[in-house]
Amino acid sequence: MANYYDIDSILVEEEFVPVVFQKAINGVKIDESTEKGYVEQGSKTQLPFWLAHELHMRQAVSIGVPACFNQKTRLEIQADAACVDLRSRCPYFYEFGCKLAPLCDKSIGLLLAYAFRIRYKEVLHKAHTTAFAAASRFLMLLTKEETYMYEAAQSSMAAFKKWRMGGPRLQRASILGRKRKPAE
Amino acid sequence: MAGQSDSTMSLFSSEEIEFMAEDEMVEIVPNLRMDSLNFICGDYGPFYPQLAAQVPIWLALALKKRGKCTIRLPQWMSIENLTQVLEAERDSHAFQPLPFHYVEISRLLFDLAREDIPDMYMVRSLIEDIRDVRFHKVETNLEKFTASTVTWKNMSAMEVNVIRAFAGRALQAFYKHDNEQQTPDTDRTLDKQPQIPTDRPKRNLKPR
Amino acid sequence: MATEESASVMDDYETLISTTDVELLKRAWRNEKAAPEILQFESSLVQRIKEQIELAEQNVEISEANNIDPLTVSLYQMDLDRTQFLLRSYLRVRLQKIEKYLFYVLKTDEYLNRLSKQEQMFARRCTDDLGSHLDETVLAKLPDNYQSILKQSITSEEDDMVPVPRLDTFVICKAKQYLSGLDFEPEYSMEITEMERDLLTFVCYKFIKKPLENGKIDLV
Repeated sequence: MANYYDIDSILVEEEFVPVVFQKAINGVKIDESTEKGYVEQGSKTQLPFWLAHELHMRQAVSIGVPACFNQKTRLEIQADAACVDLRSRCPYFYEFGCKLAPLCDKSIGLLLAYAFRIRYKEVLHKAHTTAFAAASRFLMLLTKEETYMYEAAQSSMAAFKKWRMGGPRLQRASILGRKRKPAE
Repeated sequence: MAGQSDSTMSLFSSEEIEFMAEDEMVEIVPNLRMDSLNFICGDYGPFYPQLAAQVPIWLALALKKRGKCTIRLPQWMSIENLTQVLEAERDSHAFQPLPFHYVEISRLLFDLAREDIPDMYMVRSLIEDIRDVRFHKVETNLEKFTASTVTWKNMSAMEVNVIRAFAGRALQAFYKHDNEQQTPDTDRTLDKQPQIPTDRPKRNLKPR
Repeated sequence: MATEESASVMDDYETLISTTDVELLKRAWRNEKAAPEILQFESSLVQRIKEQIELAEQNVEISEANNIDPLTVSLYQMDLDRTQFLLRSYLRVRLQKIEKYLFYVLKTDEYLNRLSKQEQMFARRCTDDLGSHLDETVLAKLPDNYQSILKQSITSEEDDMVPVPRLDTFVICKAKQYLSGLDFEPEYSMEITEMERDLLTFVCYKFIKKPLENGKIDLV
């Protein structure tokens, strides 16, 4: 609710999740080939998270674990978390996982914490030491959140270096000093 | 709101840190006579030729620029002290005590009061080395971050500022991951009761 | 124990009498910039600073007119510029925060009361302008149940379109004195039990909200 206008929050909820219908539903269809608008109990399909969540609240569906958190990904993360291309799995890996974990599989939370802890160290080193060009391949593997972190570090370092080089210090803007009438 | 979102609002620019550093005191030796200055930020002077006085750096540099004083090198910037500090930095994991604004003060003096620093190149290279060693320690400390509160002794203003954005995000992420295992996603705790509005129009669900 | 306490009381007293308004303004500016939510407006401080600025401006004008030594005049002008920068930056940061959390500030008394009269006026005019703009461009064209600027639909239980300041951001702070568990909110007693004086600390903002309001902590 606090993130109504936040683009990233909106996009996170666009990610698809597998669902299983717990009730039969009238008036909609999930398979274009069927004639009537009817979904049987037990049918499976992929729905965007925002919709799956609403239906879950009404106990209409149960939510499964999407591909990005499946066993294969878990094994890769355990083997070498820093090299896994999380962006292609899901650019909002962490945010999405956080929303999903309470609804379908709490162990996702542990996976996220583990992966983040390891990858964070890589981001830390690359952001503060390597030039942008050399790190570009690494950047392709990062999720949105990791990318923001990386960029934050890069811009802080760049701003500091620029300051160190010297340059114009804080100066009085010429427009100041003219008095304005207060607006009523 | 969308248009005004400015996550950099809480960040200080290097120039702003330098602005704050300019209020630190330094000793000058004026070569003129001047009455006391009663500024909004404090009273300084009166100044007598060859009598040392303590003033904020911004004032010292303004006088220096017009050739009205020389600036005495702060004690902590002496070659002996800096050499000791550098050794101590290299030998220990902890940060050595240095003035909070040592980076800014030294840069201001190097740029604008060069003549008043004996062996300036030596002093500058010592400070650069100290800064490098310390920054390396900063990185090592950052590696050990967890979700809990972190304290750092003797870190300087500029060092803190450079990692502020990154560390803030990292700590927040750690905090979120470590806590969301205990509490469910708070965004949804408020609409747990299923809402069944009766007058919402039906829509067709189209799968991809 | 007694001597330590009285020593720190003396420290505080000395700090109090020797802290200039500019120092106080600098502190307020730093705190405001670093905090994720809007803090209490320092109305008496701002008033005093404004008066001192006006006085200084007059002095500079008079000095220039009387051909006082230009060096002295320029130094006074510098002091004036520095103070004005602090004041302007302080006010600007607050306005930015108000703009960012416009609707939330107006509907939450705690925040509304932290604003100055002029800031409250600003906030109200902003919401009116923004409200009517969004109404004309989007909201009035939506179906009846979805026209609110605060709620996604009339069935929402609360104002879910209103951005809220995130109090779980991490900030850097220094305690001005030793802080024990009593200085923090009891609900955070598991997270933070004490804070030493003058030690740089990275901490979740909401844990230190209370001592910050009591002036025992400064954000850096």
